[in-house]
Amino acid sequence: MYDDYLTIALSKGTLLEPTLEVFKKLKLPGEGINDKSRSMVFTYDNERVKYIMCRPTDVPTYVEQGAADLGIVGKDVIVEQARDVFEMVDLQYGYCRFVVAVPEAIKNITLKDLNYKRAATKFPVIAENFFRSQGLQVEIIKLHGNIELAPLMGLADMIVDLVSTGRTLKENRLVELIKIMDSTTRLICNRVSYRTKHQQIQPLIENMQKLSTGGSA
Amino acid sequence: MKSRKISRGLRDLLPPELKVRRFMEEKAAALFASYAYEEVMTPTFEYLEVVEMGTGGNIREELFLFMDREGGILSLRPEMTTGIARLAATHLRDAVFPQRLYYLSNSFRYVQPHLAQYREFWQAGIELLGAEGVRADAEVITIAVKALQEMGLDNFKISLNQIAIFNSLLDDSGLNREEKDCIRSLVENKDLVELSRVLESLDIDDELKETIAILPVLHGGIEVLKRLPYVEKNQRALAAVQELREVYETLQLCGVIDHIVVDMGVLRGLDYYTGTVFEGYSPELGYGLLGGGRYDHLLGKFGFPCPATGFALGMDRLALLLKHPALQKAPRYLVGGKDFAAVIARAEELRKQGFAVEIDVEGKSRQELERKLEGRENCITGGLIYV
Repeated sequence: MYDDYLTIALSKGTLLEPTLEVFKKLKLPGEGINDKSRSMVFTYDNERVKYIMCRPTDVPTYVEQGAADLGIVGKDVIVEQARDVFEMVDLQYGYCRFVVAVPEAIKNITLKDLNYKRAATKFPVIAENFFRSQGLQVEIIKLHGNIELAPLMGLADMIVDLVSTGRTLKENRLVELIKIMDSTTRLICNRVSYRTKHQQIQPLIENMQKLSTGGSA
Repeated sequence: MKSRKISRGLRDLLPPELKVRRFMEEKAAALFASYAYEEVMTPTFEYLEVVEMGTGGNIREELFLFMDREGGILSLRPEMTTGIARLAATHLRDAVFPQRLYYLSNSFRYVQPHLAQYREFWQAGIELLGAEGVRADAEVITIAVKALQEMGLDNFKISLNQIAIFNSLLDDSGLNREEKDCIRSLVENKDLVELSRVLESLDIDDELKETIAILPVLHGGIEVLKRLPYVEKNQRALAAVQELREVYETLQLCGVIDHIVVDMGVLRGLDYYTGTVFEGYSPELGYGLLGGGRYDHLLGKFGFPCPATGFALGMDRLALLLKHPALQKAPRYLVGGKDFAAVIARAEELRKQGFAVEIDVEGKSRQELERKLEGRENCITGGLIYV
């Protein structure tokens, strides 16, 4: 329902801490927020701001539907879900990249040799679009976690996954074959909120842009 | 067969919902008629080639397609404007223009269904055919504002833009087709992050880059038009900016300016728009309520060049905001009794006076009917008459 609070959906987990640091620099309220407590909504009456704690994959849903005006979420989630939201600012932190990785044993394989092979991934949309754009037919096997296990157990020939340092790949004797895209944290915005709460949102966006391009807010 | 399935994204409408719908339709029809618009209807499906005169082939995955027995490809209409353009090019060639037409119709799109987005959706809309210029644009926008007001909405904004500003800048940028399409889709989707990255990599005038980068976020009163540094260098863009100013000024005359904001990010999805474009929003709903604009080239594609402008209002979405519209209902009576002839006579008498009458067709006693009435006082407002 409509109120004059600005509602921001925050991703729980690793993105929360750097997000709160950015908010601090922008002089947005943030006392008492953590994702360990049972509270899922944090309201600051003086500042007319409300935060809601969401699983990262739910943030675009809240924003698309207008249950939140703004959201903080990784580009990986945005691309995978292809939600109808505005992507306003690259906040730079939370870097990771999408890669195709194969077992060490076949590390010299080329991309075209992967035609008609199987790829395990948590991100079927990104994987499918990538292989299609390369003119390849790849069978996508959707898994919910521990993707690295799939090639080890013969379930898949390769994986499409998010990598930040590459340590997990190494531990499972996988090597990065090709990078699909980079991902960092983004500020997203509901289509209508952007217009109806423009006076609250636009300065925030400008300050975030300044901050993320190295200046100070 | 006990299947109760219906296809995804469709729905049944029950009396309470339909009452709100009819209320909206009546308000819309009366308003449109008061501006001398007349109602038309077009077929529910058309040849794909006709549909794509309007959509430009970009949304084929959103169309419900099927074949007729002669091998023609048909599409359920995804919107009304293209069908009406075809209708005008067929039947109104000799008419006196401008022609003012309206419709209350359903359209179909294979979209991801969710709240306020169905695969069969209903629109009320108008098309003003054969009139160029800002006065025609202003008339259509004024009617859009009044339509929302008539239906009882007061907290809403209409975002106004002139699409030729962006198009002229892009056309004269020296970019190739692919680069233009890329920038267009990034601006439409407001992917500012990728947009600034792409602009960075292009070899074009820095002021032009700056202007394209700022367009999607320029929003406010008419003064935001001063923030377009490159526009002075592009005659067509400059003319479009001037036209936008004139539309804005004319809307002041029309008395609806309180609801208007300039928003250079409004580009509209369909390919056919050529000039002034606009969208309506309410802060209570995360989706747009109405959209429209000028499409001067569409009728020409049907061999009948003719300037045109119009809008469509999404009634399914608006209905979500009209929780308690002032629905007028005639008092309703329940008439029963042993002598059925007397019951019928009494009921007819009341109906003639304009009341709604429900007669007891089950031959129940007074006590039984009184019991039946309990809890229905809001519905049977006139009460029980036992003859």
